[in-house]
Amino acid sequence: MTLNTDMQVNRIDDYLWEIPPSEKAGMLVPARIYASPAILGAMDRGVFDQVTNVACLPGIHRYALCMPDGHWGYGFPIGGVAAFDPEDGVISPGGVGYDINCGMRLIRTDLTLAEVRPKLELLMTELFRRVPAGVGSRGFVNLNRREFRDVMRKGASWCIANGYGWAEDLDRIEERGCLDGADPTHVTDYAIERGINQLGTLGSGNHYLEVQVLSDKGIFDRETAAAMGLTGRDQVVVMVHCGSRGFGHQVASDYLKVFEKAMRRYGISVKDQQLACAPFRSPEGQEYFGAMNCAANTAFANRQVITHQIREAFAAVFDSTPHALGMHLIYDVAHNIAKVERYQDGQWLVHRKGATRAFGPGSPELPACYRHIGQPVICGGSMETGSYLLVGTDRAMHDTFGSTMHGSGRTMSRAQAKRTVRGEQLLRDMKQHGILVKAVSMSGLAEEAGLAYKNISDVVETVDHAGITKKVAELKPIGNIKG
Amino acid sequence: MSGTFRFLDDIAMADMAFEAEGDSLSALFDAATEALLHSLADPATVTPTWRRTLDLSEPDIETLLFEWLGRLVYLKDADGVVFHRAALTLAQEPDGSAWHLHADVTGAPVDPARQELRSDVKGVTKHLYAVTQDGHRWTARVVLDV
Repeated sequence: MTLNTDMQVNRIDDYLWEIPPSEKAGMLVPARIYASPAILGAMDRGVFDQVTNVACLPGIHRYALCMPDGHWGYGFPIGGVAAFDPEDGVISPGGVGYDINCGMRLIRTDLTLAEVRPKLELLMTELFRRVPAGVGSRGFVNLNRREFRDVMRKGASWCIANGYGWAEDLDRIEERGCLDGADPTHVTDYAIERGINQLGTLGSGNHYLEVQVLSDKGIFDRETAAAMGLTGRDQVVVMVHCGSRGFGHQVASDYLKVFEKAMRRYGISVKDQQLACAPFRSPEGQEYFGAMNCAANTAFANRQVITHQIREAFAAVFDSTPHALGMHLIYDVAHNIAKVERYQDGQWLVHRKGATRAFGPGSPELPACYRHIGQPVICGGSMETGSYLLVGTDRAMHDTFGSTMHGSGRTMSRAQAKRTVRGEQLLRDMKQHGILVKAVSMSGLAEEAGLAYKNISDVVETVDHAGITKKVAELKPIGNIKG
Repeated sequence: MSGTFRFLDDIAMADMAFEAEGDSLSALFDAATEALLHSLADPATVTPTWRRTLDLSEPDIETLLFEWLGRLVYLKDADGVVFHRAALTLAQEPDGSAWHLHADVTGAPVDPARQELRSDVKGVTKHLYAVTQDGHRWTARVVLDV
C-alpha cells in the first residue's frame, strides 16, 4: 500500500495504524490513525506530519490520535484527539480549532416525509428567514454587553431562562450546554464586538441546517434508535452544524498571539507555529481556558437559539406547536473542544479537533435516558449524501479518550470544487434529486458539493468496525440551508 | 504597477488561500487587501454607504499585513459589512523601528439582495503565512479560515 508519507506506519489491525516514536525526533508517544486501508491510502501528507507533531507536545498521554475523517488542519489535523496531563501538560488553541465548540445538533419530529414534502418549499423558506446565514449575518437576539457576558457564562441555560427552548433540552446537550470555568474577563473587546450580534446565526463554509428523513431501512439498531425517539417510517428530523462564529475565532486568534510569547517564557518549542501552546496550569493557559469556555458556551447558546427558531418555523408552517409536533432535542455534541475528563486511568485534558465525544454506556456524564445505550454521536456528511447517528462505546472510553469521527472530511479544495460545479446547476440537480437548497451564496454552495467530500459511509464503517462507535441510523437530506 | 493576486488550490483544502504580489510594498498591501475583499463579496456589487479610517502600527511588515487583514475580518463581523474599496498609505519610521498603515475603507451593510456574497471568512491564519522580497518584487501567501 502506498501512503503519502515516508514514515513507517505499522498495522495494529484492519482499522488502526500506528507510527512509532522513532519516526520523528521529539515524539513522546506513538501516533495512531483510525482508517480502513483505502482511507489510509487516500489520507493527505498533512495528516501524518501533523499527528506526529502533536505526539511531540509536552505532557501528551498514551497516543496522538487521528480519526478516519482526518485531513490537514491548522497545527493539529482535523480529526485529531490528544490528552494531556492537566498538571504537567499543555493546552493548545490549535488542538481545539478556530471555531471553538463547532458542533452538531439533531432534533426529532413526529412528522413524516409524506406530511412535509407538500410544504417543503414553504418550510425551507421559513427556516431560511428565521435562521440567518452567510457573510455578516446577524441574529434576532439583541444583547448588551452584560447580557452577552451572561451568555458566555451560562451557555444554553441562558437561552432556556430567556424563553429560547425547553428545560428538558439541557439534559440532551454535552455538559448540559454549559462548561464550568468560563471567564469573560479573559475575552477581548474585539471578540465581544464580533460575537455580540451573531447569536442564532449559522455562518457559512461547511455549516448548515438540514431537514432529513429517516427511513425504515436507514435504521441499523432499532432498539437504540427507539431510545432516542426515532422509529423510522420516513420520520423527519432536523440537523444543525455550526459553532461560535466570529467570536470563537477571535478568541483563538487572540490567544495564539499570547501563546507565541508564552512558549518563549516557558521554554517550549513546537514543530509548527499553529501548535502554539502553554502549560495548562500557567496563567496564560488558564486565561485561554476561561476564554475558550466562554466561546464554547456561546456556541451551545447559538445552537439553542437556532433550535428555538426551527421549532417556531415548523409550528408556523404546520399550524401547530413544537410540543405537538414532538420536536424534542435528540442530542447536541461538540467536535472542537478541550475539556478535563475523567477516565479509568486518571483525569486528562482532552483536545478534540474535528472529533466527537463518544462516551460509552454507563458513563455518569450521560443523562438517564441515554445511560444504557451510550452517548448519541452526530456525524454530518455532505449535503448531497446524508448523515449518520451513532453511539459511543466502552471501547472508545479505553482506546480513544471517549472520542470518534465527526463528519466525512474533504477530498477536494474549495477552488477546485467551484471550477468543477456551478452553484446554480448544483441547486437544480439537487432539486431533481428531491433536495431543496436555500443558499446565500452560489459560490459557497458549489464549494460544498458532495463531490468535494469523502464518502461518509466508508468513514462510518471504519469507526463501527474499529468499535469506537456503533451505527444507529442513516439520515437522508430533503432540505438544506447554506450560508 | 499595481499588485495582483491569485487564489491557491493546493495548500488549504478546507479553507481558502491566496498569493498576492506587487512591485512595491504598497502594491503588495493593495493586492492582498483586494484578495480578502473579493473573498467576502464581489466589491463591484457593494455600493459604498459605510466608511472607516484606521491607523495601525507594527514593528515589522509581516505583522502589519497580518494584523491589517485580521482587522478587516473583525470589521466585517463587528459592523456587519462587506467592502467596496480600501485606500492604503504605508510609511516606515525614519529609524526603521515601526511600520504604519493608514486605511480609508468603504463598504456597505450586508445585503444579500444587492450584493454578490461569497465566503464568510472567519480569520487570517499563520499557517504557511509568509511575506517575502525578491529584488523589488514582494509576495505574500495567506491562508484564510472559512
